[in-house]
Amino acid sequence: MGLPLPAVAAPFSGAFRAALPALIAAVGQPRGRTLPNEPSRSRAPGHSGTFVGHRPYAPGDDLRRIDWAAYARSGELHVKRFEQEERRAATLLLDLSPRLLCGSPQRRLAQLRLAAVLGGAMLRHLDALAVVAPGGPPNALFAGVAAQEGLLLHLERLPVVAAPAAAALPLLCQRGVPQRVYWLGDFAGLDAVAPVLAAVRRRGGSVTGILPALASDLQPPVLGYQRIVDPETGASHAVVVDQAMAEAVASELAAHARAQALLFAQSGCRWLRWPVPAADDLQTAPYRGLAVLGGG
Amino acid sequence: MELLHPERLVWLLLLPVLWWLARPPVPRAVCWTPHSAQWQQALARMGRRAPRRRGLPFLLLALAAIAAGLAWAGPVVVARPGPTRLVVLCDGSASLAQVHAGQQAWTVAAQRLRERLARVPSSVDVTLLRCGGPLLRRHGPSARALQDLGTPAGTVVADLPALAASLANPDTAVWTVTDGQGQSALPAVGSLSLVGAPADNAAVLAVRTTDHWPLPELELEVDVVLFAARAGPVQLVVTGGVATAAPQTVALEPGVPATVRFALRRLPAGGRCVVQVVWPGDALPTDDRWELELPPLPAPRLAVLDAGDGGPFAMAAARALAQEVGGEVVSGTAGTAAGLLLVDGGSTPLVPGQVRALTFGCQLTATAPAAEPWYGPVLTEWDRAAPLLAGLELGELRIAAAVPDLLPPGEVLWWGAVPGLPAAPLLVVVPAAGRTDLASVHCAFRLVDSNLPLLAAFPQLLRRLFVRCYGSGAQITVHSEPPPLGEVDLRAPARGPERPLPEFGAPAQDLRAVLLAVAALLLGLRAWWR
Repeated sequence: MGLPLPAVAAPFSGAFRAALPALIAAVGQPRGRTLPNEPSRSRAPGHSGTFVGHRPYAPGDDLRRIDWAAYARSGELHVKRFEQEERRAATLLLDLSPRLLCGSPQRRLAQLRLAAVLGGAMLRHLDALAVVAPGGPPNALFAGVAAQEGLLLHLERLPVVAAPAAAALPLLCQRGVPQRVYWLGDFAGLDAVAPVLAAVRRRGGSVTGILPALASDLQPPVLGYQRIVDPETGASHAVVVDQAMAEAVASELAAHARAQALLFAQSGCRWLRWPVPAADDLQTAPYRGLAVLGGG
Repeated sequence: MELLHPERLVWLLLLPVLWWLARPPVPRAVCWTPHSAQWQQALARMGRRAPRRRGLPFLLLALAAIAAGLAWAGPVVVARPGPTRLVVLCDGSASLAQVHAGQQAWTVAAQRLRERLARVPSSVDVTLLRCGGPLLRRHGPSARALQDLGTPAGTVVADLPALAASLANPDTAVWTVTDGQGQSALPAVGSLSLVGAPADNAAVLAVRTTDHWPLPELELEVDVVLFAARAGPVQLVVTGGVATAAPQTVALEPGVPATVRFALRRLPAGGRCVVQVVWPGDALPTDDRWELELPPLPAPRLAVLDAGDGGPFAMAAARALAQEVGGEVVSGTAGTAAGLLLVDGGSTPLVPGQVRALTFGCQLTATAPAAEPWYGPVLTEWDRAAPLLAGLELGELRIAAAVPDLLPPGEVLWWGAVPGLPAAPLLVVVPAAGRTDLASVHCAFRLVDSNLPLLAAFPQLLRRLFVRCYGSGAQITVHSEPPPLGEVDLRAPARGPERPLPEFGAPAQDLRAVLLAVAALLLGLRAWWR
């Protein structure tokens, strides 16, 4: 049955744009991937790129970067130095799936607004920001506060498209190992999320999963005879929801939420359930300290 | 199949309405959720399924509606044109007993009838007429089962072509099953099946006997005939009831009867005598035998009882009779075995009809003790055509005295009279009750009181009375009959092409009841199904 998808709400109203600077300020200073002994916002070697030389090993250095050939020749430990293309950068990984059209307000609306706020903070405090959207346009790079408007325009034009989570990994690694990834989505299919988390962690990156949490993610459904529709597949089935059924569904949803948190914890990643504010709620409270919570 | 009211099929347009009504209810509320998998797990855990159309109950309901709609339209199977009645003319004549390859033609005919009648539709009314031998009629199931059709015998008394022509009409099919024997032509109408084949046959046409009973001599004249392509020797054998007789062989020309004579000697115990013709290649064995039942020979002993005052006539009569039947005269004392008791005068405790006896003026226990004699009675009447008296000259009989009251009731042979009195019996035969081989003969006068012993017919009369006392016990019983002439010569039966049975008609069938029953059954299943 081809039920039409819910209409896509415009994410950035005039009121939101007006409130955006205050919201960015409330987020705080996000942290990019900082290297020891390197000043921020300066050109410094990174993990990948062109080899620029050695420096003596210091405690806390990544053991994988030790040049064992040089140690064999000199008898002293040295680590390799590379020139990074972006330094102190962060990546926003967005989910464009139709599943995010569910909820009121829509989870997609909350995701894009959160991306705009987090992105604005990153442009203000970090060197660069990459926006990765599997199934959507190519990766977009933004740098500097002046790119704020371009970021909003980019986010606004993101389509609604279903793409597997595994498609995110090649996009993330397109320009080297991602330093810090903020993954925004509904994380409904955990089986597809786990390999991506593991792959990023193997490459030395870190992931913070942020779920714009709706009330319906945990609360039992409304009682009655209703049609349940999966926006991504279009599959639907009629269900009589009585009290017992509502409790069973709530139990499954709670188990799913626990599985989400457990997956990120087991992957060594941060996990954040961010309660979605109302669409017209532009208070700074929901966003306060978000960058600090999500940073690591 | 046709519909009497095809316009009523419009009611089948209600089927889409049924389909629409059978749909599951449509949920008013729609819940978009990314957690479809969790919903499914919850449903599985609760053991619930989504409401859906129940396929089989709806199918049963739809089929019931279709069946009812068709029944309402009046479906009928149209009648098929063709005969609805079958008359089988079955030739059961004696020639059907001919044997080919070890199988009797009658058996082949019955087998064909049984096989073909099994395929005749049950709506066809079947009548079977056996036209040869005894005329038998079987109808309905008994005709299909060929019940009690007997064995081949007799001749075809009906004109099969004319009978078939008279019976055949558009509604009646006629099927003639025959061997073509004894008929000038085969039926030209109806179906035809032929059994048997041209064959050779030897037959006993007749057997004539010359019986010398109670003497053992017996003479047979056997008429025998051979129907074959060439002349040949035929052997005749006589067995049973007679002393051993040598077989006789006679050379017969095809189609020319010959007579063979046998001079035989009967056995005292009697028995069944069989005359058998033996010829290799004989296709019809049933006309090769002629059977006679020979009665036992009587004990040739004549006992005489007389009052002593009757002169020599009783003894003379006994001797004459003994000479006639080849017996001997013995004294009539107690304990003596005798085949006939001859009593003249006196009084004898004898029950009429229970003893083979010949009495003349004898006082019996069953008759009146005191009787007034008639003097000079005149023989007024006797049955000249009766077997006992036929050809005997009794006009010279003179009776001096007679006592009619001495006679027991019985079959009167002679009537006598005296002036002034009504006629009374003078000679009676008393048969035994319920038996045909035992009788006694009683005369109202003594031999000495008449000139009967002096008449020329007296010895023959005595012999006939002796035979009468034995009744059927003195007669040869013939168990065979001459074969029908048309059933003996098997060389050229009527032949022609066989014609199969036509396609039978079938009456129209109304299918409404069947469809309504089907609809009710489907509805019942729909109600029962859970």
